[in-house]
Amino acid sequence: MSPVSEALSSTSTTDKAAKALLPLDDFTWNSWSAMETQWRVERLLSRYVACIDEDDLENWPEFFTLDTCRYEIITRENVERGMPLALMFCTSRGMLVDRIVSLREANIYPQRWYRHIISNVLIQSVDAECLQVQSNYVVLQTRRNGQTDIFSAGKYLDRIVLSKGELKFSEKRVVVDTHRVDTLLVAPI
Amino acid sequence: MSKYQAGTYTGEAPKVWPAKVNQIPKEIFGDAALFEEELKKIFYGDTWHVVGHTAEVPNIGDFKTFDLGRVPLLIARGKDNQVRVFFNSCTHRGNQLETSVSGNRKEFECPYHRWLFSLDGALAACPGSKEFAPDFKQENFGLVELKTDQYLGLILVTMGKNTPPLKEWLGDIVPLTLSALLGGDGRLKLLGYQKVRYVSNWKGYNDNDGYHGGLLHTAFRMLNFQGGSGSQPMSVNGHWVIEAELKPAQNSGFLNDPSLIDFKVADPKRGSLVVQLYPMTVMVKHMDVINLRFAIARSHDVTEVHYAYFAHEDDSEELVQHRIRQSSNLLGPCGMVSMEDAAVFQRIHIGNHTPGVAEFQKGVVSLSELSLDMKQSDETGNLPRWEHYRKVMGFKREGEQ
Ligand code: FES
Ligand SMILES: [Fe+2]
Repeated sequence: MSPVSEALSSTSTTDKAAKALLPLDDFTWNSWSAMETQWRVERLLSRYVACIDEDDLENWPEFFTLDTCRYEIITRENVERGMPLALMFCTSRGMLVDRIVSLREANIYPQRWYRHIISNVLIQSVDAECLQVQSNYVVLQTRRNGQTDIFSAGKYLDRIVLSKGELKFSEKRVVVDTHRVDTLLVAPI
Repeated sequence: MSKYQAGTYTGEAPKVWPAKVNQIPKEIFGDAALFEEELKKIFYGDTWHVVGHTAEVPNIGDFKTFDLGRVPLLIARGKDNQVRVFFNSCTHRGNQLETSVSGNRKEFECPYHRWLFSLDGALAACPGSKEFAPDFKQENFGLVELKTDQYLGLILVTMGKNTPPLKEWLGDIVPLTLSALLGGDGRLKLLGYQKVRYVSNWKGYNDNDGYHGGLLHTAFRMLNFQGGSGSQPMSVNGHWVIEAELKPAQNSGFLNDPSLIDFKVADPKRGSLVVQLYPMTVMVKHMDVINLRFAIARSHDVTEVHYAYFAHEDDSEELVQHRIRQSSNLLGPCGMVSMEDAAVFQRIHIGNHTPGVAEFQKGVVSLSELSLDMKQSDETGNLPRWEHYRKVMGFKREGEQ
């Protein structure tokens, strides 16, 4: 372990990590330099949003660890008031799959496209097991009449681990600024 | 061939309603002028409106703001633990007093000329009052309270002069189910909100949110939810109560993680409770989800709903976690078993910008008389509410003097 990762062997949750904006300019993680780690994290995020935007949702659960994982879309309003209720809250891989099956086979909703824009990808802490990463997102929604609106803006708080040589989310918390949903939310963000 | 002729669409509510009790003129959904009338006769009229639950403001100094039609409200818990509902307007020049959606304050200060109101609404300070008008008396300038009453913590207000007492307005059919829905004693704990904006007339929202025939929600069928026996009485003043048995779903294979739909405390015999209070409040208890829907009619084509979810104060930590998981996944505008509702509100609204009537069918046995009971999966539960609405709004029926 590098001196920096030793110093940072924190077990803090994503929320705590969000507070501690550390200048992580130099570290090594699993033999990757800081720059390479940053690049790999950005690749992961890019592939993740492409999966959703291209409507390849059957593969969406694959971005998460198999054994234990957690995916949550929660409003900033609820978070700031210390309230746990979420818009979507999956505590197992099975629940992730159930969301997609439901979307494909049960739910009725107007056709629309999502377009994610991600920026400010910031590795906030590093320890032997995981990376805590915060990034901003915007989801543009285009309805089939051609009109595009901002559907959701917020941030990702991610806990990323290396699983069989691949980066996976063991936890993804989507904190939504846009806390008043436009009509409905069916697909993951 | 349809019985309706093209070319009769005006976009305006007709003066006279069809004689048949199962027909609703579609043009009442898209008429902006009618909405102004509804504000006066319904939202500012002689009926109660649900605006919150005391569990949303559990501590002294907690407040939330809300709207009744276009009227801004401030709901606050005072030092005496009383929850009061004020107009959210400074009594000096009318400035909006509180701009936050919720929070906690020691007092409310208007920034305009620094008038200071205590939590019970009294005007505590007003700089420069020595030079105020000769008839100024500080004690006359407290925040103005709306007429308010509560039922197990549920907060209702009215601006009407002739609104009946709450007990009378709730009537016989509501209390038994509503009290069960509110955990028996109303000692609830707020888990959080899902807020949503529907592009739909409030009546379209209301007509479809509480209950509709079971064909819309494929997930209910895929989950093998069996509706068992139940009752669904209605009242002449537009309330509607549904109690239904929910047979615990045998795992149908639909869910990879069926723990989501466990019943932890809910009695499956009363697995689904719905209380719909006129004019537009829907409250449900479905499995272990307790959900109160605070709705705001924004305009003739926008309705905003705050889906508030609760636990009970006595719940174990494990049960709270279960409620959070169910509440965050099943119902409401993001819920995997019933988000279709949201899609339907919008489609109903678009489709109703056409001539003719919306016609209720299933369960209608008489075209001239309304029944105050119905069988499961009938559509008739909405009809007494429509009849009450028609009378309040002063629409005559064809042939009526
Ligand atoms: S308007 Fe509030 S102090 Fe003058
Ligand atoms: Fe529904």
